[in-house]
Amino acid sequence: MDETVSLDLAVEDFSSEHDIKTLIEEMNYQDPAFLIGIFVSLAVVIITIVLLKYFLGSKTTRNAVLLVGLCDAGKTLLFSRLLLGRFKRTQTSIAENSAIYKAKNERGSSWTLVDLPGHESLRPQYVEKFKASARALVFVVDSALFQKEVRDVAEFLYSLLTDSVVAKNAPSLVVACNKQDIRMTKSAKLIQQQLEKELNTLRVTRSATLTSQDGSVGGAVYLGKKGRDFEFSQLPMKVEFMECSARGHQGDEGDADIEALEKYLAKL
Amino acid sequence: MLDFFAIFSKGGIVLWCFQGAGVAESFAAPVNVLIRSVILQERSGNNSFNHNSLTLKYKLDNEFELVFVVGFQKILMLTYVDKLIDDIQLHFRDRYKNELEQKGAIKYLVNDFEFGDDFDQLLREAEESSRLKDPVVMRTFTQSLKSQKTVKSMIETKGGDKGKEQGGKKNKNAKKEAEEVAGAAQSKSPPTSKKVVVNGNQDLTKEELIQRNREEMFRKMAKSGTATRSPKPQKEKEKEKEEKKKAAKAKRVWDNCGTNLKELDYSDKVNGSQDAGLAREHAEPEMHLESMAGDLRDVDYESSEPEDEEEEEEEEEEVERVVVTEASKTGAKRGGLGGMFGMFKGLVGSKSLTQEDMEPVLDKMRDHLIAKNVAADIASRLCDSVAKKLEGKVMGTFTTVASTVKQALQDSLVQILQPKRRVDILRDVMEARSQRKPFVITFCGVNGVGKSTNLAKISYWLIENGFSVLIAACDTFRAGAVEQLRTHQRRLSMLHPSDQHGGRPSVQLFEKGYGKDAAGIAMEAIAYARNQVFDVVLVDTAGRMQDNAPLMTALAKLIAVNTPDLVLFVGEALVGNEAVDQLVKFNQALADHSMSDRPRLIDGIVLTKFDTIDDKVGAAISMTYITGQPIVFVGTGQTYNDLRSLNARAVVSALMKA
Repeated sequence: MDETVSLDLAVEDFSSEHDIKTLIEEMNYQDPAFLIGIFVSLAVVIITIVLLKYFLGSKTTRNAVLLVGLCDAGKTLLFSRLLLGRFKRTQTSIAENSAIYKAKNERGSSWTLVDLPGHESLRPQYVEKFKASARALVFVVDSALFQKEVRDVAEFLYSLLTDSVVAKNAPSLVVACNKQDIRMTKSAKLIQQQLEKELNTLRVTRSATLTSQDGSVGGAVYLGKKGRDFEFSQLPMKVEFMECSARGHQGDEGDADIEALEKYLAKL
Repeated sequence: MLDFFAIFSKGGIVLWCFQGAGVAESFAAPVNVLIRSVILQERSGNNSFNHNSLTLKYKLDNEFELVFVVGFQKILMLTYVDKLIDDIQLHFRDRYKNELEQKGAIKYLVNDFEFGDDFDQLLREAEESSRLKDPVVMRTFTQSLKSQKTVKSMIETKGGDKGKEQGGKKNKNAKKEAEEVAGAAQSKSPPTSKKVVVNGNQDLTKEELIQRNREEMFRKMAKSGTATRSPKPQKEKEKEKEEKKKAAKAKRVWDNCGTNLKELDYSDKVNGSQDAGLAREHAEPEMHLESMAGDLRDVDYESSEPEDEEEEEEEEEEVERVVVTEASKTGAKRGGLGGMFGMFKGLVGSKSLTQEDMEPVLDKMRDHLIAKNVAADIASRLCDSVAKKLEGKVMGTFTTVASTVKQALQDSLVQILQPKRRVDILRDVMEARSQRKPFVITFCGVNGVGKSTNLAKISYWLIENGFSVLIAACDTFRAGAVEQLRTHQRRLSMLHPSDQHGGRPSVQLFEKGYGKDAAGIAMEAIAYARNQVFDVVLVDTAGRMQDNAPLMTALAKLIAVNTPDLVLFVGEALVGNEAVDQLVKFNQALADHSMSDRPRLIDGIVLTKFDTIDDKVGAAISMTYITGQPIVFVGTGQTYNDLRSLNARAVVSALMKA
C-alpha cells in the first residue's frame, strides 16, 4: 500500500511540473519521421498562404492603360492603330477590347491596353470594373465635335476625376484630342482651356446635386483648390494634352499621326 | 439584293463586310443606330429592326462575341434572310474556329477574315432555295375539313331543332341553338360565326335576316373585348371536339322558355365555369332584344351588364396571366426533373447555354420581376432579350446557369436605368441663363401623381441653388390648383426672402385664373419670365387620363407651341402595368399633334411616391424601358426636402433581392 501511495505521488508530481521543457523532451522521444511530417505540412500551409497573397495581390497591381471617351471619339480605331498600325472599320462597341501592348522603348515593357465602350449606358459599369487596375488613362476627345459636346465631355471627365479610387491611385492622364485630320478642329490648347472652364462650373453644380435616394452622395472629392479657378495643374496626377489622328492624313491606307501618343506611352 | 452584310466583334472591330452593288452610303450609321437603340436598350427579343428605308436583321453569337448584321430595303421583304444569317454564322464559326478561340482582342486585328467567296456561295444558295420553293397548292375539296362534315349538319332550319354539329361544339353553341328554338336564328359567338355564316342563308326569312344583322352588330360592339378570347376558346374547342363527338348533344333549355325546376339545375351540365362565363358575356348583349318578352331574367345577367366593360379588360389580363403561369409551371416541372443532375453537370466543366437550360431560370426571374411590380409585358421582353444575349455563351467552371442568368439580368437592368444622356439640370439652367433666356420645364402626367407637390419641391431645390423661379399655373381646371400653387409660392418666399437674392423675388407665381387656355398662359408666362429675367419657368399642367383624346391634344398643343427645354412626365412608383399604357399614349399624343417632323417627346421622368413602396421598385424599370429616357428626379415624401436623384445600382439590388 505504501507503494501505491508513492506511485500516486509520482504521478501528481509529474502533472504539476507540466511546462514547455517537458514538451520538447517528449517530442524528442517521438519518431523523427513524424516530426518531419508535421514540419513539412506547416511549411506547405505557410507557402500556400504566401502564394495566395502574391497572386491575389498581383491582381490589384496596376498595369492597364484605359482608353476612355465619349461614343464615336475614335477609341477602337486608336486601339487598333496602337497595337498593329492597321486601319480597321469599327462600329459602336458594346464590350471592351483588351490586349497586351509592347511599348516602343528600350526596356520593352508591356502592359495591357484596354478599350472601354463609350456609350453612356455601358460606361459606368466598365469604368467600375477597370478603374482599380489603371496605371494611365487616355481620354480620347473628338476635336471636331468638341464644341457641341463640351458639356458631356466635361461631365465624363469630372466623374472620372472625382472617383475615389482614381483620386487615390492618381494614374497619369493624357487627353488625346483625336480627329485632327478633319479641318477646322480645335487645338489641344483650346480644348484644355475650355475644359478647365467647364470643370470649374461643374464643381459648383455637381456639389449641389441631389443625394441619391438611399442617401449616398456622389464622389466627395473636390477638384483642384478651393477658392481658385480650376486648372489641370492642380490635380494630384500628371495631365497632358496632345493631338493625334487615328485615321491619319493620308486616308484609310496611310499611317496614323499618333507618334506623340506612342512616345508618351513609351515613357510609362 | 442585300444592301450590306457585316460581321463585327462586340468590341466594335469589323471583321468582314460586304456592300451590295450600287449602294452608295456606308452601313456604319444604320448599324450604329441598331446597336444603340436595340441591343443596348435590351430590346433584342425581336431580331429585326427598321431604320428609314432599311430593314436590319441581326444575330448575336455569344460564344465568340460576334454580331452578324444584314441590311436590305424594307420594301423587298426577302424571306431567305433569316436562314441566310444562320447559315453564315455556322459557316463563319466553323471556318475560323481556331482564330476565334485565341485570347484577347488582338485576334480580331491580326487575322484577315476573307469570307467573300463563302458568302457569295451561301447567298446564291439561299436565293435559289427561296425561288425554288413550291408555290402553295390549294387544298382540293376532298382534303378540306368541309368535306368531312355531313350535309345534314350544315343545314340551318328555322324553328325546330338545330342539329348543328360541326365536329363538336361547345356549350356556347348549344345554348345558342336553344335560343333559336325560342325564335331567333343563327349563331352568336364570333369564333363559330365564321363557320356558320358559310353554312348558308338558305332557309332564312326576311325577319331572320334582320335578326341576324342585328346580332352581328351587337357582336361587333362586344368584339373589342372578345378578340383575345376567341383564340383560346378555339383551342379549347379543338380539345373538346373529340369528347363532344362521343357524347350526345343535350338540348339546352333557357330560362325564357319555361321554368322547370329540374331544368334549372345546371350543376352537371356546366362544363367549366370559364366557358359559361365567357358564354354569358357573349349572350349578354344579344339578350337585350328578345329578353324583355317573357319571364324576368335572372339576377346574374342584370348585374353583369354594367361590369361588362371592366370585366372584358380583366378577362384579357387574366387570360394572359393564366397562359404565363401555365408556361412557368411547365418550365418548373421540366427544371425539376433535370434539377438534381443538372446542378452537378452545370458545376463542373464548361458548357454552352441553350434555350432549354435557361428557360426555367428565366421563367422564375420573369415571375420575380412581375412580383416586384415590373409591367408584365416589359418583364417578358427583358427576359427574351437576356436569353438572346446569353444563347450559346460558354460558362466557366463552377458557375451555374442560374447565377449566369441572374448576373446577365442584373447587368441589363443596370444598363437600362443608366441615363442615355447627360442629366444635369443645374448646368443646363446655367447655360440658359448665360444665353439670357429662361429654362422651361413642363410637368405632365395623369391625375393625382404629385405634379404640383413635386413642382414645389423642385422649385425649392432650384431656389436653394440661387436661381429665380417663375411658376406658371397652367392647371386651369382643377379646383384649388391655382390657390395651391400660390400657397407654395408664399411659403417658399418666406423661406427665401427676396433680400437674400439681390432684391428680386426668388419665386413668383404667374396665373390667369381658371377656365382659360393653358397653352396661352404658358406662352405669356415664358414671355414674362424673359422680360423679368427669371432663370427657370416651371409649368404645371392639369392631370389627364391618357385615353382622353381632347385633353391629350391640348397638352400636345401646349408643348408644341411653347417648345419647353424639358418635358417631364410625372409617374408614381405605385403604378404597375398602367405605366406602359400611360407612357406609350402620352408619347403617341405628343408625336401625333406636333407640326414638325422631329416632335418633342417626353424627355425625362419624375418618379414620385417612392417612399410608399419598399422594394417593389419595378415601375422605374417599366418607365425607363418604354421611353428610353432617364429618371431625373425621385420624390420620396411630401415635404420640400424629399427630392432625390436615382441610384441605379440600389434600385437594381432592391429589385433582384429575393
